[in-house]
Amino acid sequence: MGKKKINLSILYTVPASLLLIMFLIIPLIFALYCSFYQYKYMMQGSFVGLANYIECFVTPRISQSFLITFIVTFASTAISIFLGLVLALWIDRRSGLFAYFIEMIGLIPWVISMVVAGLLWRWMFNAELGLFNVIIRAMGFAGVDVIQNKTAAQVALIFVLSWRTIGYAMVMILAGLKGIDDTLIEASHIDGANSLQTLFLIKLPMIKSSVLLSTIVLTVSNFTNNTVPKVLTGGGPVNATNVVTLEQYNLSFVYYEFGKSSALSVLIMICTVIIIACYIKVAKYKI
Amino acid sequence: MNNHKVRKYTIRAVEYLIAAIFAVINLIPVFWGVITSLKNPREISRIPPQIFGFEPTLMHYQTVLSGQFFRSIMNSVLFSLFAIMLGLILGYLAGYGFARRKFRFKSLLFFLVVVGIPLSGGSSVLLIPNYLYMLKLHMTNQFYTLPLIYAAYNLPMAIWIFIAGIKAVPFELEEAARIDGVSQHYIVTRLVPPLVKPSIASAALFIFIGSWNDYITASVMVSGNLKVIQQSIYDFMGFFGLEWGPLTASTTIAVIPILIVFTIAGRQLVSGLTAGAVKG
Repeated sequence: MGKKKINLSILYTVPASLLLIMFLIIPLIFALYCSFYQYKYMMQGSFVGLANYIECFVTPRISQSFLITFIVTFASTAISIFLGLVLALWIDRRSGLFAYFIEMIGLIPWVISMVVAGLLWRWMFNAELGLFNVIIRAMGFAGVDVIQNKTAAQVALIFVLSWRTIGYAMVMILAGLKGIDDTLIEASHIDGANSLQTLFLIKLPMIKSSVLLSTIVLTVSNFTNNTVPKVLTGGGPVNATNVVTLEQYNLSFVYYEFGKSSALSVLIMICTVIIIACYIKVAKYKI
Repeated sequence: MNNHKVRKYTIRAVEYLIAAIFAVINLIPVFWGVITSLKNPREISRIPPQIFGFEPTLMHYQTVLSGQFFRSIMNSVLFSLFAIMLGLILGYLAGYGFARRKFRFKSLLFFLVVVGIPLSGGSSVLLIPNYLYMLKLHMTNQFYTLPLIYAAYNLPMAIWIFIAGIKAVPFELEEAARIDGVSQHYIVTRLVPPLVKPSIASAALFIFIGSWNDYITASVMVSGNLKVIQQSIYDFMGFFGLEWGPLTASTTIAVIPILIVFTIAGRQLVSGLTAGAVKG
């Protein structure tokens, strides 16, 4: 009587939330703050307002890198999702060991590190000794120095990014397919729908959200990936694969322009937030 | 009838062919890396390259392991273990809170978790911000720098997995225990954990893969004696001047633990990955 019970349940989530706030939220706010200042090496200079941002927009190398990033992100995500969808629809019809085997094989490129994957593909694409060129030459074509050729390097980057994530897309979409009520498929067969109609009128609409969710996750992942381009092509040749996260990295650790790189981080962040906002809208997460 | 059978076997054959092509494309870089790492320099530069029928040698492994590389392996192991322990404890507690309790700011804190999943997946968004911030706090290049960051980056996913796992445990079980006079402390620390073992395994797996495979965060945060394995591999690219023997030996060493863990607990990985996505 009289003694009010205090709800202490929040305490369960406090330690985790503190860690997240410390490493996910505060750094972003701090970067926003830094982006309004001039930096000479590590020394904070005077307040410069939006000058860092304006410089980001007027530097051709940076706007070029945004363009490259958009193309690479769009192409690699589209390829992953399309092939992931096709593979998922295929192995959904099978079950048991075969399906399990395909799933596991599909995830291997995703579980090995990006440094290892980038490096091994770089070795595969090596001009003289790489397996890729050996096979190309054996088939009677001229070899390509993938890493030194502008277009080839861009295609290789898109290829490796897709290669990494096809299995992820497949597994996510497969989970959506497994979630469809079997009676729905049976009913459509009884109603006389052929398998193409079942696919387009039942299966695809039912897995719409898992396709969308994996598209969004992969878009963020490819957009912000800088390890693969760094290891595979190093941004070259002549900035052909200089994606925006690589540019941001170089601004900081090659040119030591931390004000500008903070501004660029904030710009990348804004793009990411827009994509994540779509994610939250699609996911309709509730607790 | 016969036609039907032919058709069935053709489809089977095509399916196995597609599966084989898929397997080759997915595995060939790793396979070729392992083969290269076992060749002596003369064999490596031989055209056309031999797949089998060369004298295997461990010389590149000796070269690689005689230097700093072994230390960076140990660093990676330790950092990953610390990150896993921290991530599991914090992730489990938060997951329990979110799954079982009502409190103020719950949806706000949950929002933090949801945003964190895609955000930390591509941690290079946070790379420069976190670097500047950690530098300000004088927390770069410390033994605790990377474990804390790895735990934080992989925490949203771990919490997400635990929420799904704990929600699947019938609440009646907890209520029954409470009626029997069991303390809340006992429920959280003794009763529930054994019931969510699969979630523990899959959260641990996610944190391990995230920590072991990280390069970019480590590359700006630590150096010298605190280097991690992926960082050492990247540095080899400059050090050995793209000498592919030592390079492929180091990548093989880096891949082995991942493949072992993945082979044992691949199912857990898939179930963790799809924990929240199943509801179409």
